[in-house]
Amino acid sequence: MTNRIDKFGLLVKLAISLIAVVLIQGILGYRLRFFGYFDLPLIITIYYGFTLGRPIPAVIIGTSVGLIQDTLAGVPLGTNGFSKTLIGYLAATTGTKFDVDLPVARAIAIFLFTLGDGVMVTVLGVVTGAGPANYTSIMLHWLVSGVFNSLLGLLMFGIHDRVTHVST
Amino acid sequence: MRVVLPSKKPSWIALVVLLAFHTLLLSVQTNHRFDTSFVRVWLLDSLGPVEKVVDFVAGEIQSVWHGYFALIGEHRENLRLHSDNDALRLELATRQEDAGELARLRKLLDMKSAIGGKTVAARIIGRSPASGSQTLMIDRGSNSGIVRDSTVLTPEGVVGRAIIVGSDYSIIQLILDSQSAVGFVVRSSRRLGILKGSGASALEMEYIEDDNDIKQGDELLTSGQDQIYPKGLSLGFVVYVGPRQGNFKIVRIRPSVSFGKLEEVLCMTDRIPDVSIGQAP
Repeated sequence: MTNRIDKFGLLVKLAISLIAVVLIQGILGYRLRFFGYFDLPLIITIYYGFTLGRPIPAVIIGTSVGLIQDTLAGVPLGTNGFSKTLIGYLAATTGTKFDVDLPVARAIAIFLFTLGDGVMVTVLGVVTGAGPANYTSIMLHWLVSGVFNSLLGLLMFGIHDRVTHVST
Repeated sequence: MRVVLPSKKPSWIALVVLLAFHTLLLSVQTNHRFDTSFVRVWLLDSLGPVEKVVDFVAGEIQSVWHGYFALIGEHRENLRLHSDNDALRLELATRQEDAGELARLRKLLDMKSAIGGKTVAARIIGRSPASGSQTLMIDRGSNSGIVRDSTVLTPEGVVGRAIIVGSDYSIIQLILDSQSAVGFVVRSSRRLGILKGSGASALEMEYIEDDNDIKQGDELLTSGQDQIYPKGLSLGFVVYVGPRQGNFKIVRIRPSVSFGKLEEVLCMTDRIPDVSIGQAP
């Protein structure tokens, strides 16, 4: 019984943190223009993929955060859901097969996942009739976003490592 | 770093199921077989109040930062000043902010009376959480009279249209969004065309074969032919007329509205055929 309550509590915490991430992305993107280059939901998906190391929870987290993002962004439902699901899976499997404890490996992985997310969202946008008008600017956005996400991801993972070391 | 717990469940099945689910979801929306707007409206109404509270807190933190912490360097140079001087500065900053807001609202009110139709003022509380889409969230919805496709504008020009309308919150698609298309008329030559969002900070004209009469500095107004935006609202100014590429030429437009500085907007709650703001005399 206690175990069930613990699991339920954990799920509620996770759901709240995912919703909070999407809301914070929306608000900071409005208040600080440069924050539009960050993609917190993507970083969270990669983060959980790496730290959990289990593909099933990672894809569920990716799906959830992607669908919330789609809902509040006004894009067709499933666009970010599809992309984040795949990235959650890839992050979890990468995390178990490669050593992503090294900062350089993490930064490269986040950069590549950001590019992959951008490509997938754009391709799905084109398929659903919502493709970008200017591909040059969107590609530039992916590159800058990849660098920004890598830096923020490194910071977040660093904090996570410290907290884990302190608590163990 | 990782706590890897071995799982015997074939994880790829979960992946395939979820990817198939998303593909199906995208497919039914593309074919218009299933309307997902009720999910969006429900989530928007549920999360809107949370976003408003978080936005308020973020705004207050930003206000304190600009009014106090950003002045720490200056404060050090003026150590001899009394502590109440800081309080007065903070109060002054707040008053200036209020005065700025008052001026903006006054401009909106002037515009409201010029338009003549029913409008409602709204505050922006968030931006699109997904890269690639240019949307804003406002704190007004169907309870204030906003409906889908309601035109959203400022005294400078057109901002966009409501695409998802909840009870008290709405999502606005900016004219910059790559899915946005607006019918325009060039103020001087009365040439008609379609203006497409680029997903970035500029707009682009679509299918311009013969641009002899389009030149830098030309102002574009809404033509009203798209049946969404009323005629005569300012859209932007031509900033670049490019060389021919294939059959068409690229023409870039700087929007009339400074999207980076938007705080309040005016939403039209009834469709009116013509607007006198910005129309050629």
